[in-house]
Amino acid sequence: MRAEPPPRPSPLSYAERPATKVPNWHGLVVLDVLFNNLSTGLYLCAAVGELLAPAAFAGVAPWAYRAALAFLVADLVCLILDLGDPLRFHHMLRVWKPSSPMSLGTWALVGYSLAVGLLATAGLLPGAAAFDAGRRVLVLAGMVPALAVALYKGVLFSTTAQPGWREARWLGAFLVNSAFHFGAALTLVLAGLLRQQDAVAGLRAAAVALGLLHLGALLLVVFDIAPFLRAVRSPARLVELGLVVVGAGILLPMLCFSLGSRGGDLLGLAAMLAGGIMARDELVHLPHRLQHAAGGAAARLRA
Amino acid sequence: MSRELELTEVAPLPGGESLTAEGLERLIGPFRRGAVPEPAEEMGFYTDTSVCIGCKACEVACKQWNQLPADGFTFSGNSYDNTGALSAESWRHVKFVEQFSVWEAGGGDGGAMPGRWLMMSDVCKHCVEAPCQHACPTGAIIHNEFNNVYIQPDICNGCAYCIAACPFGVITRSTLDNHAHKCTLCYDRQKDGLVPACAKACPTASIQFGPVEELRERARTRVEELRRRGVADAWLYGHEPTAGYSRLNAFYLLLDRASVYGLPEAPRNPWLSMRGDYLRAVLSVLPPLAVLITALLRGR
Ligand code: SF4
Ligand code: SF4
Ligand code: SF4
Repeated sequence: MRAEPPPRPSPLSYAERPATKVPNWHGLVVLDVLFNNLSTGLYLCAAVGELLAPAAFAGVAPWAYRAALAFLVADLVCLILDLGDPLRFHHMLRVWKPSSPMSLGTWALVGYSLAVGLLATAGLLPGAAAFDAGRRVLVLAGMVPALAVALYKGVLFSTTAQPGWREARWLGAFLVNSAFHFGAALTLVLAGLLRQQDAVAGLRAAAVALGLLHLGALLLVVFDIAPFLRAVRSPARLVELGLVVVGAGILLPMLCFSLGSRGGDLLGLAAMLAGGIMARDELVHLPHRLQHAAGGAAARLRA
Repeated sequence: MSRELELTEVAPLPGGESLTAEGLERLIGPFRRGAVPEPAEEMGFYTDTSVCIGCKACEVACKQWNQLPADGFTFSGNSYDNTGALSAESWRHVKFVEQFSVWEAGGGDGGAMPGRWLMMSDVCKHCVEAPCQHACPTGAIIHNEFNNVYIQPDICNGCAYCIAACPFGVITRSTLDNHAHKCTLCYDRQKDGLVPACAKACPTASIQFGPVEELRERARTRVEELRRRGVADAWLYGHEPTAGYSRLNAFYLLLDRASVYGLPEAPRNPWLSMRGDYLRAVLSVLPPLAVLITALLRGR
């Protein structure tokens, strides 16, 4: 009798395939997450600035709200186009369902759209200056949905059954901290372009310091999903990713912002965007890449 | 195709009004609420894989009854499984597991275990606490009066969150209408007092349909019987809740580990993490807010 062969699973056995199926979320979702963070970050920084230092931020805040609105519109376009049936987008509004982060996010987006829409256009209306107290209440009230919009997205991913996402307990925290860092950088660049020097000093300090929190939150996520990243990326590719996401996306901008020049601020912001897109692409596509890796491993076994 | 799956259709009005009326209906129709049916007895499936012969009658009956398109004639090379997976167009999937490595080791001389086929007709598990239902932001996914998980096809907007949420990989989005579809547990037939098409077609009673409590009792008895007859590995998957997951209203009698059949060994409801994840995210707002406030106050 021949010796017992080692267990030889069929290359395409059910056991080897991930039990879950990956949703068809790709580039539009990467952009959606990015625009979400850019919009809410801008709003939050401008709002905090306007409430704490109204004189210094008087020239910056209205433009920050307008930019936040533009990013929000881009975000909504991505969200709608990514649906299987974009003409049914309004079906999201037929229920209020906090058990679904996507439903909560939808309602937060509604509240945030109203606040940022009103603030972005308020200055254009005649006699708007007379309603300063009302405006400040709106700025403050708008921070609640803005924060909800910034934080629901990470929880939306982490409360799924997808390998990689479901382990990322700090994804919501990462995206919130990332939004603040983006917001400070964008507002800083905006203040520089508008020559609002009173706002620049505080924003510069914030843009540098928030980088550390951004990095800390990213490391918490990476710690959670490290085994999955290693499964889909070679060590060399992981180093490249680290250089782009951490080096270019966080550390270089911190250095650039601390230089105190407008050119440095622009370079820092561009590097931040590159790193931010890369980080989001990696996170959004992690389950897809894990599926491919499982299929590839099975095919190699079969060969 | 999408028409065939729609529950509600807008009656065309005479003349040019139809377009406006259809547009209006599209806009306000989803917000209308019908009468909520009285709760009925909880119904489900008990699938006894020990008697499945892999005939795929269930797959065919489901396709026929629900007017689902064919999957094409693709040769997968994986035993007799050319369906591949559950999907928006295949709501039943018969899996084939060939376990012959032990037999090969015996050289076919009959001295070793003879090897075996495992076959299993997979379907939506109709989870009592269904992650897909929790996820659905449109309210398209409901537990109906039979406590079965049902996607209202006229409500789904194809956001795909349910696909991400299902730990069993049941749902996909149809390439024909871009909406999510899965087994309805033949809701239409149940309302007319009929047995689901797949269970009706199953020639070996591998797929058994009925009141869930009765099915659970029947399944327990069957496991005891199999064990008495020497099938020590027979066990029930999903008939009891676990720490991480609710009971399944479509549960299985299996003869091997769950993963052999492509089922998660220990499914976990992703919603168990939701509060903690929200809490972490909310608390994580405080440090950047504090940094921002400090920096802006100092910079004044
Ligand atoms: S098996 Fe998946 S699709 Fe079916 S009810 Fe459970 S979570 Fe939903
Ligand atoms: S794809 Fe349809 S059924 Fe699934 S969660 Fe989105 S709206 Fe609900
Ligand atoms: S219960 Fe009906 S819809 Fe579900 S698999 Fe069986 S035949 Fe198909």
